[in-house]
Amino acid sequence: MRAGDAARRTKPKAGESLVAGYRPLPGIYDEMVEADGRVRPHWQRLIAGLGELPREELARRFAVADRSLRDSGVFYRVYDEDGGGERPWPLAPLPLVVAADEWKALARGLKQRAALLEAVLDDAYGPATLVADGALPAALIAGSREFLRPLAGVAPPGGAWLRQYAVDLGRGPDGRWWVLGDRTQAPSGAGYALENRVAVSRALPELFRDLEVQRLAGFFQAFRSGLAGLVRRDDPRIGLLTPGTLSETYFEHAYLARYLGFLLVEGGDLVVRDDAVYIRTVAGLKRADVLWRRLDADYADPLELNPQSRLGVPGLVDAVRHGSVVIANALGSGFVEGRALMGFLPGLAQRLTGSDLEIPNIATWWCGQPAERDEVLERLATMAVGPAFEASLPEVLDRGMTLGSAIDAPTLARVTAAIRRRGADVVGQEVVRLSTMPVWREGKLEPRPFTLRVFVTRTESGYEVMPGGFCRISSRADARAVTMQDGGTSADVWVLSDGPVEAVTLLSASDRSAVRRSTGVLPSRVADNVFWLGRYLERAEATLRVVRALVGRLDAVDAASAPPIRRLADLLVTWNAAPAKPRPVGLIVTAFAAMTRDDLGGAIPSLASAARGTASSIRERLAPDAWRVLGDLQRPDQAPPAQPTGADLFELANAALRTLSAFAGLAQENMNRHSGWRFLDLGRRIERGIATARFAGVFGEEAASFGDLDVLLELADSQITYRSRYLAGLARTPVVDLVLLDPANPRSLAFQIGEIEEHLAMLPGGTGGGPLTPPQRIAARLATDLRIADPATVTVDDVRAAERALLSLSDEIATRFFSHRGRPEAVAAEELG
Amino acid sequence: MLYDVRHETAYTYATPVPYGRHLARMLPVDRPGQRVLAAALTIDPPPAEWEDGRDFFDNAVSRVVLDVPHEKLVLTVRARIELERRPAAVADATPTVAAVRRAAFASDDFGPRAPAHQLYASRIVSLPSAIRDYAAESCPDDRPILAAASELMSRIHEDFVYEPGATDVKTLPLMAFEMRRGVCQDFAHVMIAGLRGLGIPAAYVSGYLRTTPPPGRPRLEGADATHAWVSVWCGEAVGWVDLDPTNDMPTGEDHLTIAVGRDYADVAPVAGVIVGSGGQRLKVGVDVVPVVPREATALAEKPVAASLSP
Repeated sequence: MRAGDAARRTKPKAGESLVAGYRPLPGIYDEMVEADGRVRPHWQRLIAGLGELPREELARRFAVADRSLRDSGVFYRVYDEDGGGERPWPLAPLPLVVAADEWKALARGLKQRAALLEAVLDDAYGPATLVADGALPAALIAGSREFLRPLAGVAPPGGAWLRQYAVDLGRGPDGRWWVLGDRTQAPSGAGYALENRVAVSRALPELFRDLEVQRLAGFFQAFRSGLAGLVRRDDPRIGLLTPGTLSETYFEHAYLARYLGFLLVEGGDLVVRDDAVYIRTVAGLKRADVLWRRLDADYADPLELNPQSRLGVPGLVDAVRHGSVVIANALGSGFVEGRALMGFLPGLAQRLTGSDLEIPNIATWWCGQPAERDEVLERLATMAVGPAFEASLPEVLDRGMTLGSAIDAPTLARVTAAIRRRGADVVGQEVVRLSTMPVWREGKLEPRPFTLRVFVTRTESGYEVMPGGFCRISSRADARAVTMQDGGTSADVWVLSDGPVEAVTLLSASDRSAVRRSTGVLPSRVADNVFWLGRYLERAEATLRVVRALVGRLDAVDAASAPPIRRLADLLVTWNAAPAKPRPVGLIVTAFAAMTRDDLGGAIPSLASAARGTASSIRERLAPDAWRVLGDLQRPDQAPPAQPTGADLFELANAALRTLSAFAGLAQENMNRHSGWRFLDLGRRIERGIATARFAGVFGEEAASFGDLDVLLELADSQITYRSRYLAGLARTPVVDLVLLDPANPRSLAFQIGEIEEHLAMLPGGTGGGPLTPPQRIAARLATDLRIADPATVTVDDVRAAERALLSLSDEIATRFFSHRGRPEAVAAEELG
Repeated sequence: MLYDVRHETAYTYATPVPYGRHLARMLPVDRPGQRVLAAALTIDPPPAEWEDGRDFFDNAVSRVVLDVPHEKLVLTVRARIELERRPAAVADATPTVAAVRRAAFASDDFGPRAPAHQLYASRIVSLPSAIRDYAAESCPDDRPILAAASELMSRIHEDFVYEPGATDVKTLPLMAFEMRRGVCQDFAHVMIAGLRGLGIPAAYVSGYLRTTPPPGRPRLEGADATHAWVSVWCGEAVGWVDLDPTNDMPTGEDHLTIAVGRDYADVAPVAGVIVGSGGQRLKVGVDVVPVVPREATALAEKPVAASLSP
């Protein structure tokens, strides 16, 4: 603590009003104040700083934090699936403050615990001497579903089971920290911790700086280089293996993959060949050296683990057996998460690390042993009881950990009988009363219990602990650990330092890293999605142009306008953007349908939702702004009026077109020029080419009227160019030339083909002096046709041929680059008689 | 008693399959009372990769990869196996249900045959109270374990209808229990669920029965395919005793073991993942023929193939 702080030890004036009336819960430790209400020293600067801000400013700051999270895209999942997935622990703006020396002691204890669990894993999957010596019952290991027998006897490639490990901590009434649980399978929350940090430090920048809060970036850097250091290859490829977009923590996976520069892969992106793991990319199979696994191990290989899994990689266990891929955490690490094991860790600590547990874990009695079973039966009313291994014990403790005092009589009878019959399924645990921290509720601070998840990573030089964590705050004042449930909030964790902190910029960390370059590899599933994202967006744009051209002509009085207007309406029906029946459908109704119907595949809401569907699985590759633009397209701010006029619809279509061009701008400016962007643009160009050909087929017939040609120019966004070039009126030949053949007009068909050829040349296999690839051949033929065509003699048949060529070009691109589409299936099982 | 076994598993695909990865648990190995004199697995088309090993429960496993397009995949095991007559355990002399339960949870054995592995719910066998209560009628705490387990076996045989087609490989024990019908696999799963629910270690065994019975004896159910039964742990001294609820008999000179695991998922003869079959058909044939002693001696002395079981 620095000299100036001594003066501030007394309750700071500025914060007085903030903490006035704040009282700890009876008998409960509070993080911010002592029992008599005095602010603890390490909280004083935060409270003083907050107190200096007027209340309205405070509210505004907290709103900034909230918006910052929204901007990172977190809340958008709410729109994606019905009733699904808002982030489980939304942000509470006040951080938890932890003093520097207290943190040092915690970190030491967590490193010891990581080493201890590592040693238990090593023994259980190896010689099992702990069992032979009676230190661990065989039935305790065998009872865990996460003890994966196919991995027994297999040393984890890379030399360790745990690479990132998380511990849930709580502080008891006596001020000591307790371990409530271990997370070794695929701990989540590190990404949320990072997000919370970004949001809160943005809202309270001066305080964050003045308090010398320790930064998180170093931890992630250590984690990444720890993984990269395991591979001897020059350019190690690290993937983050996610269960996919339906996973409740998918957002975190996408966020962390983006932050760490890992390739976000799903099981379907991976394949095992020659005992090694490869990623299916647009450039063929590319070796994967390390997988950071966010998928439960049992689902990782349908061949040797859970045969029901559709998320895994057949043969992955065999690749591990051959030592050719590092999986973090190693398959099988999950078994040390079991509650039953906690009862043995105090004893094992002495044996395996040479000292007692530095941070005690919550006292646990495994009822698989007679003495412990009797103890639990006797003291059931004062304990919590729960399943020994899993989240729930069917027909006995269906809802998991339960307070003994809160069990009703029939359940109590069932639990007691279960403990007598098969005690090994049950544990008793001490009931811990958690400490509280302040949360901001309705303009004042109130104490709420919380738990703290802290992350540990293994590096070449030992374990490192993230100076911070994911703090979950209960929505209720009940401080018993067992009652922590979803529905609360989360907070940033400010670990103070005893010296100046090194300013590491957070989100631009380490573009120098060799690992980062590996994102250049594009999984073919991603390419497929990006390609279709481009196509859907362009299709939406074409539809919007038709709508705008249609409603913009409704006021025209001349008879010459009528047939083109009818044709525009027909086009919307043909594209399934508007209903064909009952006929005749009014023009306004048709245009309105194209803008609002989500049950018609070609209407704007459907196209927007298809675009977002493809985009959702490539979230880590889209700038958060681009993602938000897609949300705007699906749910425009401005709701259409119930009885729209042509002018309303014109404005609606215009607004949507602006949104689309915002996306195009973001993609152009912000997506790096790796193959991902090329596939996006390929999709757009192909779709634009198709639309242009269709427009020309309808409005550029040999007998096209002035009205038709005017529409064609508008749809092809070429009116201004035409007027500046041809002072005379509309004529078919120059219009056809401009819309189809002129390679200098960025809206012409010829221009699209030119761009397509360029992209294809830059994609894998596109150059190198070999023969043209099948997609290149189609594009080259089409380009030549357009180059030699005479605008005066181009027929509608020519245009239709071009459209067909573009459709087959799209198919050829899929065949060549999107190899992930063949999904593996299981062979039939042999029935035993 | 000496047997020649031929077990063929044939997959036919609607369209050529370019790639397949399979795991076969088809080769028998030596076990107490069983000696494998010769055993060989052949696979057609020949795999590009082939590795033989043992799994956690010490069963033989062959991991193979096929990378040429094929419309048919045939795995064939030929083996000559000798069964020794072993003295049957005296049911009433086995330890009580309570003693076995206590010993099982306290055991410090963690090897492939350890009782601890066979105590809990497994992938297919959950431990529903309905089956447990059914089993409990035969298994009071003070009853000798083998007497209790044998009675449970007889009751399942009595109460359940053996009916091929009533269930399939995916049928869960509780469904078969509620229907009171099924095939050997269902009978075995139900019996295992009941015993484990009471804290008694029970394992799943796959194997063969002789195809045609000795003169004067009826043909056993399940002889046309791979069969399944139950192994019950009767305490440290007695160890594992095999009971066949489908035929209501302890195993003896007619049961040849292929693999042991927690349930079918651990011992499935062939597991595999293929790409793009466009539909598949599976045909299995099993022949188990007793060998006349003189001929047997001649054959057994022949040098055996490289894939002979150790």
